[in-house]
Amino acid sequence: MIEARQLNKYFGEHHVLKEVSCNFEKGRTNLIIGQSGSGKTVLMKCLVGLFEVDSGIVIYDGRNFTEMDFENRKTLRQEIGMLFQGGALYDSMNVEENVMFPLNMFTSKTKEEKLERVNFVLKRVNLDNVNFLMPSELSGGMRKRVAIARAISMNPQYLFCDEPNSGLDPQTSGVIDHLIQEITVEYGITTIVNTHDMNSVLSIGDSVAFIYNGELWWRGNKEEILHTENTELNTFVFGTELTSRLKK
Amino acid sequence: MLKVFISIGRYVILMQRVFTKPQKTTIFRKQLFNEFEHLGIESLGIVAFISVFMGAVVAIQTAYNIDSPLIPMSMVGFTVRQSVILEFSPTVISLILAGKVGSRIASEIGTMRVTEQIDALEIMGVNSANYLIFPKVVASILINPVLIVFSMWLGILGGWVAMVATGLVTTSDFISGIRIDFEGYTIFYALTKTLFFAFIISSVSGFYGYETQGGALEVGQASTKAVVVSSILIILFNLVLTQLLLT
Repeated sequence: MIEARQLNKYFGEHHVLKEVSCNFEKGRTNLIIGQSGSGKTVLMKCLVGLFEVDSGIVIYDGRNFTEMDFENRKTLRQEIGMLFQGGALYDSMNVEENVMFPLNMFTSKTKEEKLERVNFVLKRVNLDNVNFLMPSELSGGMRKRVAIARAISMNPQYLFCDEPNSGLDPQTSGVIDHLIQEITVEYGITTIVNTHDMNSVLSIGDSVAFIYNGELWWRGNKEEILHTENTELNTFVFGTELTSRLKK
Repeated sequence: MLKVFISIGRYVILMQRVFTKPQKTTIFRKQLFNEFEHLGIESLGIVAFISVFMGAVVAIQTAYNIDSPLIPMSMVGFTVRQSVILEFSPTVISLILAGKVGSRIASEIGTMRVTEQIDALEIMGVNSANYLIFPKVVASILINPVLIVFSMWLGILGGWVAMVATGLVTTSDFISGIRIDFEGYTIFYALTKTLFFAFIISSVSGFYGYETQGGALEVGQASTKAVVVSSILIILFNLVLTQLLLT
């Protein structure tokens, strides 16, 4: 479980995160939703330590991440996998080298063992015969799947996904969503997904945190979100023509 | 002015992260050889082209400007040697490399920054500054002296070819000029400058690439800044090192 306690983050005078406290549970897909600019990406980057919080603490299964030194963070980060918005695959490496990269960096496995693991995780994300393709030769959905394969190659305990569906068609988005959920349950990972895609919320939202103007505004799950009376959340959820018609 | 001090501070902090032990020696070795290719071997063509023509121009200009019968034509060889070894090869070629290699380093690392590839390294627990910049700095420091010695040789060769082709100076005059009062220290001086310049090019460009924030526009700006600042520092350090080493 990951606990965020009273997180505050400022950029200059701008108070981006305001006293955000939230628990993200193990074996569940925890979604952070909110409008663009609401602070959800900042929250995720604070959780993984890409941004330092100005106050508050982040705890990974009882381990205080905020107060850890660089070396301890480095060790803990080997338990973290992250899927970035654009995939963040290394352009100079092919698919196999990308997925093998963390194994090369942090394990002393033999080449055969690493290759076996790479092929296993690629198969797990339904990718075959792509080992020698370069990232530029992959479609958006394939890039995301390779990024997921890289993120899970080290058997992470925590998986962070930043806008996993951005730039994807609804069908491919669904495939990625279900893949994330399956992996979460299968490996008992604590997964946090940052999204503003309501399809994702309704299909994999085991736990949903709505961030509004930098504050944690609402917590619930995919069922409760449809029946809430929270005005700001309703504006967000039913903000499109399609969802407002469905509500009617 | 404050911005300059902030940049210097950030550069020093980044260098502290760069100069640490590589996390995996085998990976570092592989990267180092890749950088030898990207920063060194791929620069051979431009270095050769500029050096030959630079030597030829110095030789022709010197030959045409010697109009006193009291000055022997062997002075052309002497002038070409001194100009190429002391200044043209170490400084001008380093300025050319600041443009070619510096922009490459800054844009490569800058693109990795804006596409979150550096964040991906950090998340995995990799010291991204060391992983990305250290091999480039080490490769530059090792390969640039080789490029500069190659440039010296080609510069003098270019001067000789120009003299033979135009018939202004004979081969024997040119070669005897090259041999007049040769001091090995000039090579030491040139290579010492080269080492400083190699460090400036790779570390400053790495810094601007690493500090990039934004998108494609900012990557271009970082690349330009890297070339401009590296060139200015090369010129400044050229003056300082010349004063220190030749007095």
